[in-house]
Amino acid sequence: MKVAEEAAPGLRRPSRWLDLRGRHEGAWAYALNRLTAIGLIAYLYVHLGVLSLLAHGPSTWNSFLATTKAPFFTALDAVVLLGVLFHSLNGIRVVLTGVGVAVRWHRLLFRSLMALAAILFLVAGLLWSIRG
Amino acid sequence: MRAGFGIEKRSTTSWLWQAATGILLLPLLALHLIANHFVVAGGERNFAEVAACMGNPAIVVLEVLFLVVVTSHAMLGLRSILFDMGVPTRWRPALGRGVAILGVLTVAYGIWLTITIIR
Repeated sequence: MKVAEEAAPGLRRPSRWLDLRGRHEGAWAYALNRLTAIGLIAYLYVHLGVLSLLAHGPSTWNSFLATTKAPFFTALDAVVLLGVLFHSLNGIRVVLTGVGVAVRWHRLLFRSLMALAAILFLVAGLLWSIRG
Repeated sequence: MRAGFGIEKRSTTSWLWQAATGILLLPLLALHLIANHFVVAGGERNFAEVAACMGNPAIVVLEVLFLVVVTSHAMLGLRSILFDMGVPTRWRPALGRGVAILGVLTVAYGIWLTITIIR
């Protein structure tokens, strides 16, 4: 069976995924989907690496937690959340259009889902700041 | 050439698995983020809180399921990206197996870590 590929025509090499001159939203969505995928795979292993500190006992984990209060980690969390929101909501579009649903309204679907991503990001930021 | 929407006709097994794991990830990720970060003061649990949380079998099942699904989705995506980068056809089966082994090792490590925390 032929292996599934996400390739859009003319966008096979990474250098070409990122060359978005003269391309429209479909290419932007494709490039960002790839970039967020790579970023989130890297984050999966960083997250597992961080969680491995739990195996070293309470003092190691609790002292690590103290360092995560720094603004750098909050900024990192925000970047990860943005990546997750984009990748998951764009993924919904890819699945829907891939099975032939809403193909005619793909641009509206993309813009609506990105608006939803922005709203969810703001809500998460609000909850984060309220909770402290 | 311009790349547009709606050209993504997917019918292969890999794409269907990627789509299925992606859909499953939506509720699992939401549960993971809410239960482990958003409802926790400071965004992270201290060691005692993690141990208490992982003492709940339902949480353990959900977290292991989340690990399996997220790793499956990640490995299918990684394989797709690597193939798409122009890997020669003759290397693809070996590369696919390598990515599958990485996925199995990742899940095994996560389960080992979970058991270690529970103990």
